[in-house]
Amino acid sequence: MTGPYAAAFMTESGSAGAEADFGARVAENQRRVFQIAYGVLGNSADAEDVAQEAFLRAYRKLASLREPARFRTWVNRIAFRIALNRQRGSRRQMARETAWHAAGPGETVDEARKTNERLLAEELRREIEGLPEKYRRVLQLLMVEEMNSAEAGAILGIPAGTVRSRLHAARKLLLEAMK
Amino acid sequence: MMAACSIWKDQLLEAALGDAPTDELAEHLKRCPGCAVALTELSARRERLDRALPLVARGAELPADFRARVLAAAESSEPRWGWGRRGWVLAGAAVITASILVAILVHHHGASPAQDLDVAAMEKMTHWRAPSDVFLETPGRENLRMTPRLGDSIVNLPVPRNQED
Repeated sequence: MTGPYAAAFMTESGSAGAEADFGARVAENQRRVFQIAYGVLGNSADAEDVAQEAFLRAYRKLASLREPARFRTWVNRIAFRIALNRQRGSRRQMARETAWHAAGPGETVDEARKTNERLLAEELRREIEGLPEKYRRVLQLLMVEEMNSAEAGAILGIPAGTVRSRLHAARKLLLEAMK
Repeated sequence: MMAACSIWKDQLLEAALGDAPTDELAEHLKRCPGCAVALTELSARRERLDRALPLVARGAELPADFRARVLAAAESSEPRWGWGRRGWVLAGAAVITASILVAILVHHHGASPAQDLDVAAMEKMTHWRAPSDVFLETPGRENLRMTPRLGDSIVNLPVPRNQED
């Protein structure tokens, strides 16, 4: 690997270790980056594209990252912005995955439960999209595994306390809207 | 929940979200079965909400080869260098280097041909004289300095002695 990532990590681990370093960063963050994109887009193919693009942008611009320890927040923010841009640009709302909505006749109890959960999630997604943007963004981030208020605030550029108050308001609105 | 109980709606939502009911709401719930049922329903709805929210973002999984694909794409992508701080430093260094090279070249090769032409023209200018100066230096210019007497011809120039013969 000869790109900027290699240069950025040269002093720490040498060029031979740069590829392993970047690979390790991808492995650490790929699930979360994908979930951030999926939370916004609701389509796994699009979310996968966004996740890949986020890592590539991070790779190309790594030299501009002054604190390597902040890689996680940085790549999360990149992914969130790309996902929002893609959503605004394409508005492919109808392309959402709905194949799993149809429950087959040979469906087991466990599969039926999963189907119900997914239907509920889809209903909830529609409700979330009807929320004011400032509440919607907070929810989209806090739905991601192990994402806390401070991390969501760092991505959105707002204090953790504001994230918490917006989350409370968003849940209240959802509770009222759900049937 | 009765229509008259709509004033308790906000407090019921807050209570369903986990906040402890206020003393007033607790008193009201004791007397109003409709609001007590509404709170139970809202609490059940909140549980469904909390269960479903993570599914919205975690409803799909990445393919197993995602990391390998990212690494392959990173390997094949051309780094895009922008005009960051490093870019400006490099540009500044290039300008300084070019200036030094130009200075060295001028020093070693002397004046340029254009500069030579300028010097020659300036030298010619130092030898140039106005036409009146030339006229004053012609033979016979003494005539102009003499005042002929009345009756004398201006043509009768005094002949220098060494030319009388």
